[in-house]
Amino acid sequence: MSKPKVAIFDFACCEGCQLQIVNMEEELLDLLTVIDPVQWREGMSDQSDEYDIAIIEGSITREEDEEPLKLIRQRAKILIALGACATIGGINKLKDAFDLDDVKKTVYGEAAGMPHLATAPVKAVHEVVKVDYDVHGCPIDGKEFSYILRCLLAGRKPAIPRYPVCVECKLRENACCYEFGKLCLGPIIRAGCGALCPSNGFHCFGCRGYVEDPNVNAAKEVMEQYGKTVEDLREKMQLFGTRQEFTL
Amino acid sequence: MIAKLVSQTDLDAWVDALIGEQTVYGPKAKGDRFSFDRLNASKDLRLDYDVSILPPKKYFHPQQETLMTFNKKGEFESVIERDPFVLFGVHPYDFVAIAQLDKLFEMDYPDAHYLARREAATVVVSDVQKASAEVFAGAAGFATVEHRKGYDLLITRLDDGSYVVDPRSPKGEKLMTGLKKAPDVDADGFRAREAVWARNREQLQKHKLKMKPDEIPGLLAANRDHPVWEEKAALCYSCGSCNLVCPTCYCFNVEDELNWDMETGRRTRTWDGCMLTHFATVAGDHNFRPKRAARYRHRYFRKGQYVHDMIGELSCVGCGRCITACTANIANPAEIFNRLLEEK
Repeated sequence: MSKPKVAIFDFACCEGCQLQIVNMEEELLDLLTVIDPVQWREGMSDQSDEYDIAIIEGSITREEDEEPLKLIRQRAKILIALGACATIGGINKLKDAFDLDDVKKTVYGEAAGMPHLATAPVKAVHEVVKVDYDVHGCPIDGKEFSYILRCLLAGRKPAIPRYPVCVECKLRENACCYEFGKLCLGPIIRAGCGALCPSNGFHCFGCRGYVEDPNVNAAKEVMEQYGKTVEDLREKMQLFGTRQEFTL
Repeated sequence: MIAKLVSQTDLDAWVDALIGEQTVYGPKAKGDRFSFDRLNASKDLRLDYDVSILPPKKYFHPQQETLMTFNKKGEFESVIERDPFVLFGVHPYDFVAIAQLDKLFEMDYPDAHYLARREAATVVVSDVQKASAEVFAGAAGFATVEHRKGYDLLITRLDDGSYVVDPRSPKGEKLMTGLKKAPDVDADGFRAREAVWARNREQLQKHKLKMKPDEIPGLLAANRDHPVWEEKAALCYSCGSCNLVCPTCYCFNVEDELNWDMETGRRTRTWDGCMLTHFATVAGDHNFRPKRAARYRHRYFRKGQYVHDMIGELSCVGCGRCITACTANIANPAEIFNRLLEEK
């Protein structure tokens, strides 16, 4: 079997997820035995229009970026969304919580009217084209990326957690943030990160997106039990959860 | 060998000697909570712990483990761990849970992975010194284990600060070799231990059960359609926390993972939980328990009736961990069982 050609493209993002692939170091040589990278800005100079697998990093923040993404989709047999910006819109969607003209003026000042700065409401990749696989997280976890890639090369469906972060937090035997009166998004956010943030003294920020049936109706009563309000919860959800649509 | 009366100093010296000889796990401080972990020195052993975040069953049924390695030709090799270890300081209710898992993992298709670890372990039970905030093991009938078998040593701290160390099996006797010089426990010592047990049966009841534990299966069977299931489940996050901290939950999920050579791989199993949305999702993505209330009810039936039918006792041991772990505060088994009784 010839190795599938893989191209990595970046849209609006910090390119930190691509960097996580570069950071895979000890696994990189293994990776290259099964795939043939043809475009990967952080890893090589070559470019190509021929590929089997397209990996998309970043979200779509200008209308003019939709066409290239659609073209990539046409050319690729398999399309993977890489990282929170691509899977859920990520922190880019924070912009959508404000008036777009205000945002433009605040960021670009007098140049706000320039055509190439025509920023639009943010779209995750699946809001523009069909996505075959999601690699969640901000940033992604190299081990999970490698697992997903091996699954799809073997023709198997990767098992991406559909349960909340609480599961992995319990498996790591952390005391719960809520026991200390600290708000955490763990109960409504998809696991897969190994409860990285709660295991290191933070709360869950929600970078992997909501579980498919977050119990929104419970929020008010549960928050009240901890002397908090739904507004307190919303504030925590804003960073990654603004105008987020459910993903796979 | 008969039971020995051991001072704190001699107990520490004995534990340090054990740690020098073999792998010893015991309760240690984790922030202001407690967790079972590998002991490096007796000073880390906190027999005064109230409750550990996860139950010590994790040493027999780990959070995640490799079951086997395989290749694409269909050849495989089971991974069975048989390294001996000492599990020190298990509370009585957690031992009851382990004894229940022993039966369940032995039943039908004996689980080689669990049973090998269990066989390799020396289990030291320690009577509770400090009741946790939510414990109700006394109400469930699992505050003490003096009449039970299956563990190797029983340690009880008396009110004068000395310890009764009581061998309960040949393995336990062997572990006590280092305590030969300690005096035998006399009648006063045994009476003092009885007093600790009597107090624990009374004090490990932060929640009361208004019925006898054996009445619970019938109570549940008569209340499948009770409004409490919908009412409580309305607040359930389906996060599985109540399952994952439970000493008697033993469900797991199995996954295969291929290595980079695309020829070899390993099969793992990881703890699962029946409160999770997709616990009952099967091939074709069909979920036969998609409703929160159905999942919520299932957990109580599991603890109070289904497992009871298999092994003859309540499979909620009253450790209270689920009550602490539940963010929405809806997971208290004692509260639910009492409500079923009062509102039938």
